Parts: sequence; C-alpha cells; structure tokens
Amino acid sequence: MKSDARIGNFTPRDAPHYDDALQCMRCGFCLPTCPTFALTGRERSSPRGRVALARAVAEEQLEFTAAVRDEAFFCLDCRACTTACPSGVRAGEIMEICRSQAQSFHPLGHPGKTFREFVLQKMLPSPDLLETSMLPARLYQRLGIQWLVRRSKVLKLGADWIDKAAGMLPELAPPLRKQLPTIIPARGQQRGRVGFFLGCVMTLMYPHVSRQTVRVLSHQGFDVITPREIKCCGAPHLSEGDRETARQLALKNLELLMAADVEAIVTDCAGCGSALKEYEELLEGLVPTETLAAFRSKVRDVAEFLAEVGLRTENLIPVNTSVTYHEPCHLCHAQGVSRQPRILLSQIPGVELREMNESSWCCGSAATWGLKFSKASQQVLDRKLGNVAATGAELLVTANPGCQLQLAWGVREAGLPQQVVHLMELLGQATPQ
Amino acid sequence: MISPPVVSRLQQIVGKDNMLYEREDLLVLGYDSTPGIHLPPDVVVYPTTTEAVVALLQVARENGLPVTPRGSGTGLSGGSVAARGGMVMCLNRMKRILEIDEENLTATVEPGVVTLDLFNAADEKGLFYPPDPGSQKISTLGGNVMEDAGGLRGLKYGVTRDYVMALQCVLSDGDLLRTGGKNVKDVAGYAFKDLLVGSEGTLGIITEITVKLIPPPQAKRTFLAYFNDMRSAGAAVSRIIAAKIIPATMEIMDRATINCVEDYVKIGLPRQMAGLLLIEVDGHPAMVAEDAESVRRILEAVKAAEIHVARDADEAASLAAARRTALSALARVSPTTLLEDATVPRSRLAETFGEIERLTEKYRLTVGTFGHAGDGNLHPTVLCDERDADEMSRAHAFYDELYAQVLAWGGTVSGEHGIGMAKKGYLARQIGAGGVAVMQRIKNAFDPAGRLNPGKIFADATEQDDSHEE
Ligand SMILES: Cc1cc2nc3c(=O)[nH]c(=O)nc-3n(C[C@H](O)[C@H](O)[C@H](O)COP(=O)(O)OP(=O)(O)OC[C@H]3O[C@@H](n4cnc5c(N)ncnc54)[C@H](O)[C@@H]3O)c2cc1C
Ligand code: SF4
Ligand code: SF4
Repeated sequence: MKSDARIGNFTPRDAPHYDDALQCMRCGFCLPTCPTFALTGRERSSPRGRVALARAVAEEQLEFTAAVRDEAFFCLDCRACTTACPSGVRAGEIMEICRSQAQSFHPLGHPGKTFREFVLQKMLPSPDLLETSMLPARLYQRLGIQWLVRRSKVLKLGADWIDKAAGMLPELAPPLRKQLPTIIPARGQQRGRVGFFLGCVMTLMYPHVSRQTVRVLSHQGFDVITPREIKCCGAPHLSEGDRETARQLALKNLELLMAADVEAIVTDCAGCGSALKEYEELLEGLVPTETLAAFRSKVRDVAEFLAEVGLRTENLIPVNTSVTYHEPCHLCHAQGVSRQPRILLSQIPGVELREMNESSWCCGSAATWGLKFSKASQQVLDRKLGNVAATGAELLVTANPGCQLQLAWGVREAGLPQQVVHLMELLGQATPQ
Repeated sequence: MISPPVVSRLQQIVGKDNMLYEREDLLVLGYDSTPGIHLPPDVVVYPTTTEAVVALLQVARENGLPVTPRGSGTGLSGGSVAARGGMVMCLNRMKRILEIDEENLTATVEPGVVTLDLFNAADEKGLFYPPDPGSQKISTLGGNVMEDAGGLRGLKYGVTRDYVMALQCVLSDGDLLRTGGKNVKDVAGYAFKDLLVGSEGTLGIITEITVKLIPPPQAKRTFLAYFNDMRSAGAAVSRIIAAKIIPATMEIMDRATINCVEDYVKIGLPRQMAGLLLIEVDGHPAMVAEDAESVRRILEAVKAAEIHVARDADEAASLAAARRTALSALARVSPTTLLEDATVPRSRLAETFGEIERLTEKYRLTVGTFGHAGDGNLHPTVLCDERDADEMSRAHAFYDELYAQVLAWGGTVSGEHGIGMAKKGYLARQIGAGGVAVMQRIKNAFDPAGRLNPGKIFADATEQDDSHEE
C-alpha cells in the first residue's frame, strides 16, 4: 500500500494518494490527448492541471473548493491521459477519487440527496428493482423520464438533458437477465468454461447484443455461466463519487464470481470490464491481496478474451460490409485493449476495416457526463462524427453500451448513414445459428 | 495583487474568455516542467493578436506589473514561471500558421504554434522543419525560439537558432521591433534576431516567427546499437564523429532509462543492456548506404553488444518516439526527477560517462542518463524524493561537482534548456562576472525597468550558488 503520509485538506476517507499526485513531472505529454482541455484550453481542465489541483489540496495550498469539485466532475474519466503519460500518472482515477470527496465538502441539499441515494444505493444495487422500474418499457420512457427530470437535480444534470436522454433511449425490450439460462453449454469441441458478467445497461437496453455475446462464446467452444444474482459492477457509483456503495457491490460480485468455477470472467461492456479490473484498487485492504490478484487475472473484455484464445473462424459466415471502429475509452485507455477488437474484425470474412482518424478520442458520453454537460458533449461528439463520416464506412462498430447510445443518437441527429453496432452483434451475425 | 481597475483594463483588451484570475487557475499556472518551482502569478492573460500584446505591455508599464511570457510550460529551467508575480502572458492561443512560402522556403507562424504542427504543415508541402525537441508534440515555437531548443536531429541539422530568419517582437514599453526577413543574407547593423533567440523571454515578447525550411532527406536508415558499458557507447560516438560522419541523430540512453521507457512503450528494448545508441543517417540514398556501412564498422570495432537495423519507417519512427519519452518515463521511478543539461565537447563524452558513474556512487544516488550524445549534450537525471532533504542535498552536491568538471573541460551548464530560475547560480561560473555584466547591460537597454520576465538568468546578490533551490 502506498503511504497516505499527506492528506492535507482532503478528508482522510477515500483521499487521493499524495504519491500519485507527486508522480506527475508536468511534462505535458497528456495535454494534446485530453478532450476537456481541447474544449476549454484551460490548464486546470487538463490532466496536468487536475493533478496539480489535487496536489495543491494535499499540500494545503488550497481547500477542496467548488472549482476542484467542478474539475473532478468535468473530467470525462476517459483515461486518454493515462495512455499518454510516460510517467504512469493516472489523472482520471485521481479525479474519480476526488469525486467522493465532494460529498463531504459540498453536500447536496436534502431532496437531491435522497433521490441520488435512491438511485445509487437502492435501485442500481438491486437488479430486480431496477428491472421492474424499467419493465413497462414504453410507460417508463414516457412517465419514468418525466419523473426523473423533476428530481434530476440530484445528479446535477444539465438543463436540456431530458430531451437528449429521451432521444437516446432505444426501444426497451424485456431484460435479458431474467431469460438467460444460467448455463449455456459449449458447442463443438469444448475449450473451457467462462463466467459472463452481464451489465445493467446491457441487460436492459441491449439484450440482443449480450444474447449474441453468449451465443458467440458458446459457439467458440465455451460453457457460459451467467450468475443471476450478479450486482451492478459499481461503475456508476464510482463515477458519481459513491465509493462506499461501489465497494459493497464489488465485495458481493467478487464473492459470487470467485465461487463460480470458471477460467475467465468475460463481459461485453467496457465500463463493467474496467470497473471489475479495478476492484483490485477499490478493495485494497479489505480482501486478501492474493484473492484480488486472482480475480483480476480472470477478468477479460470479450474481444480481449476471444483474441487471446484465438477465434475459430472455420464456419464463419461472410458479412460483406465496410466498418470503422470507435474505441471505447474504458476499453482502450482503461484496459489497454485496442489491438484485439481489430484482430477480430479482420477475421470476420467479408469485413473491410476503415480506420478513422482519432479512433480512441472519447465520444463524449462518459456515464452521465453527456447529460450533465450536454453542450460540451455535443462538441466532443461532433469531432467524433466528423471522423466517422470521413471514412465512408457502412457500419460504425464499438464495444460499450454508453458509446453505442451516444453514437447511435449522434448519427441519427446528424443524419449520417452509418448504423451503429456492437462488435459482438457483428460477430454474432457471422456466427452460424 | 492587482487592483480591480487594472484587472478590468486587461480584460477589456483580451476579452473575458482570455483572462483568468481564479485561485485555482493561478495555482496551476505557477509551474512549468521544472521540479521544485511553484509561484502562482496574479493574473493570466491569453492575447490573440500583436495589438493586444502591445496594449497589455502598455498597461503593465503604467502600473509597474511584471510580465512573464509563456508557451506550453514544458520548459526545464523555470523560464515561464512568474518569479515576481504579476501577469503571466500565455501566447499559446496565437497559433495560426500564417504562411508557407514555397518560393523562399520559409514558414511564418504565430508563436503559439505547436512544433509538431509546423513540422506536419511543412511536410504536407514536401518541406522539412528539422528542430524536434523531445517535447515537440506540446511545446510552442515561441518557447523553442526563446530557449533555442535543440532536438533529436540537432547533430546534423542544428538547433532552432539555425532556422529562425525573422522575428516580430513587442518590447517592454510596447514598441514593436521587427528583425530579420526572408533574405538569406543580411548584415544591416546588429543582429537583434540572434540576440533574441535564446533570450528566455527577458528581452521582448515574440508575436511572429519566420523560419527557414529545407528539402527533406530522400532516404534514411535507423540503427539501435546496444552496449555492455556506457563508456564504449561514448567512445562509439567520438569515433563516428572523428570518422567525419555526421548522422542526423545520435541519441543515448542508459540502463535505467531503457527500463523506464520500455515500461511505457513496450516495444521490446533489451532491459539488461548498459546502454544504447539510437543512430539515424539520412540524405542521398547512395550516401546513406555508405555512411550506414561505416557506422556499422565503427560499432563493431568498439564492440557494440548488438546492432539492430529498423525494418521500416514505422519502426524508425517508433524508436525515435520512444526516445522522446525518456525524461517523463524516468519520472516513473521516483516522485522527483532532477534533470540536468550538461554539455561537453564530444571528444570528452566517454570521460563524462565515467564521471557521472563515479559521482553517482560517491553521492549514493539513483541516476538515469540520456541525451543528445552526438551533440555532447547529456541529461543526467537524479531520481529522488523532494521530501528527503538529505537526498536533495546530495543531489545538489552531485551536480556541483559534475558541473565543475564539465566547465573544466570547456563544456557548458546548459546545452538547450536555458538558465531560467534553475541555473542562475552557475552562469557566472561559466562566462565570468564580466560576461554577466555585459549581458545585464543588454538587458537594461531592452528593458530598463526590468519588467519582462524578472528573476531569470541573472542571480541576485543573495542567490549566487543556490541552483535548484528556488
Ligand atoms: C519531456 C520533455 C522533453 C524535452 N525535450 C527537449 C529537447 O529535446 N530539447 C530542448 O531543447 N528542450 C527540450 N525540452 C524543454 C522544453 O520543451 C523546451 O525548452 C521548449 O522549447 C519550451 O517550449 P514551451 O512552449 O513549453 O515554452 P515555455 O516553457 O512556456 O517557455 C519557455 C521560455 O520561453 C519564454 N517564452 C515562451 N513563449 C514566448 C514568446 N512568445 N515570447 C517571448 N518569450 C516566450 C518563456 O518566458 C520561457 O522563458 C523538453 C521538455 C520536456 C518536458
Ligand atoms: S500527467 Fe503524465 S503526461 Fe501529464 S504532465 Fe503529468 S507526467 Fe506528464
Ligand atoms: S481522464 Fe480524460 S478528461 Fe479526464 S483529465 Fe484525463 S484525458 Fe482529460
């Protein structure tokens, strides 16, 4: 464990490590990669500046002011800076931790607090509750959204977020969690046994994608175990600064998944994948280090997993199309998985990959960021869509539900011809029934 | 502190979006890449036109405000930190490439243009802007000119100074000075342009820069040579120079640096080697082939452990990119990276490595060394922790002793990073009190009130030998 030698003006619980801030040597390699710095040109909205703010709080040169809180929440947590930083500084993570400090220094008023707690601490942790609340899909889309709006101060969303949220939601289907068999046997020669981590957004909004994921896995020779009692991965909580609830969820998931007798824990949601991979840091000190390391070594994004074990391509059906690939931040920057999805794309017969410029630049979704800062989000998205359009590809492929929501919405609004699909949908299409 | 009426005048000039004075903004503009220096200004302005710069300097004159120009803050001597408070003037929003003149082979740019962006713009027109500091993706041309930045290609192509043809500069009282032009020859009076290059923002604010472009080399070949000890790497450099071969690039990294860089780039650099040289020869294809052959023979003669030739342009580019991250990658190891900029005549390279090794042991430090070996320009970097007072004082003793030797060999205390705040104490040791006095008279002629970037280059009576201890 790193020394907590200096907490300075942070509250001791969930304070950034001082050493992590000191690690930054201020070379600025991260500056050209940061979307919020590109938008504002303001040093404090850059990774170098944000780390310096955290350091100033730790050194008692600064209190945890509203501006520090704002920067913590304005950070997309896209981790592009982590990829860029030769010194190994993780500015995004430092900001994520700073978000939890916001509760103590800048608490929300009462109604906001109650609602926020309801969403983060009751609804998300309980799949049943979450799914019931979403079940009457259309009704939810009409009434649910309005209801959310009225109380939306909680998540401090931007003024026009509601239109955008309503516009973004795909037609809801019944949640997949209830339907997916706990065990789907391998087809053909068996290659192993994997646990599938089904994410909240995937089960509710993209059930057809995850259905393809498990089908592909089984077709590739893996028994697929999906524990029903799985909880939310905790990513929304980390993003909102509720590390405590995130920790409780993580403890449950860890227990459940370690009990399942599987070689790998696979997910098709980049956000879930990176949250799971970071349980190691989140649960440090609460769970034996060996258990954490063992867990960490099993977690794989589905693209990472398939590339690693090698795709069986014998029976694949050609999909004659051109695609361009948008890299989800939580896949390429948080998990370092960038090559593997491209390998898979190149192995699907008939698919022509056309690289877009800046494929790993954020799409501007970033959990609730896109709703909180809808104008800034639009600017980030426009840059992405410009790069997409320039490729002239038929399909826009990605690998994370948040990106898929944002991109599908953006493409529609901009009147672009591309259809937005998850990599697993495409691979599903190529996989015989 | 600046009074509210002055603040509102500054705001009138640059507009609301181009001025910052919240505490958080000031705190994060109180540093550059130099460790241990942190002095927030009172206000930050981002002019976008030369007229705005003129108007800002007039307000500064009327109110006695110090003005510190700043590019991207990647400087390594504290040059863009407001040593005496006042106004930090960031030029990085003046970032238009105004012209690429294919008939005269020049480019004219605003000072905030990022170095790599100029390189790319020239490249698109089939032209070449050679200076390429390790920070080229971030640093601005204004900063490059003011520090006379060198780069990986310095050995054959020279440094920023060799490319600057004309400057437009706003003097401390707000007057405009234009110096140089597109003429290849120009001896009309004193060479102000040459005086301004490397002046670290103490003589004027640069608002326009014209640089020379050249045709790009037709071919190049890139090698990595690995060594079992640094001395033979140094000997290889001296032998190559002595053989009258001038590669474009001869960069060196020691084991600590190789390991840190490899941790980041993961391209399979051999971790167990004591050092490596990155060598690039370029030019006419026939000459490249001949030079490459001679270099290879010399490397074999000095018993390089292994020689690897880059397969293609992509691999060559990724090797150079890896080298550019050396300094930042060394920062993985420890909280503080104290880097130096010692430069020696190239015949002394092998001895300099010996000296660095000796002093590393004597002062019980962890040191990573890399640099532009072909230029004799080394960056021995002490990996330390600024919270450890004893270690810090050993680090300073290390540099003191090293510089004494470097100066005795006819070297310099700064090859490319400038004096700034970090090395004021060393300047007189190199150029003598007389030299410093003449420089100060020049400074007075340009800026009699001492408003432009005060606290840089020249030591006050109280700070003779306290480099690094700002
Ligand atoms: C990782 C890394 C690698 C580096 N590699 C190299 C290298 O290979 N070679 C090398 O030479 N340097 C190198 N440097 C140092 C640094 O990048 C250079 O000194 C660079 O030129 C600074 O540019 P900047 O835009 O960041 O300027 P700043 O640091 O902001 O300013 C530098 C100086 O210029 C002055 N200044 C800036 N703009 C203006 C203007 N328009 N008018 C008047 N004065 C102005 C400032 O007051 C200051 O004195 C490296 C730095 C880092 C962090
Ligand atoms: S976060 Fe990393 S890349 Fe950015 S300034 Fe700090 S050390 Fe450099
Ligand atoms: S995580 Fe993304 S938005 Fe946040 S500082 Fe890093 S690059 Fe910028």
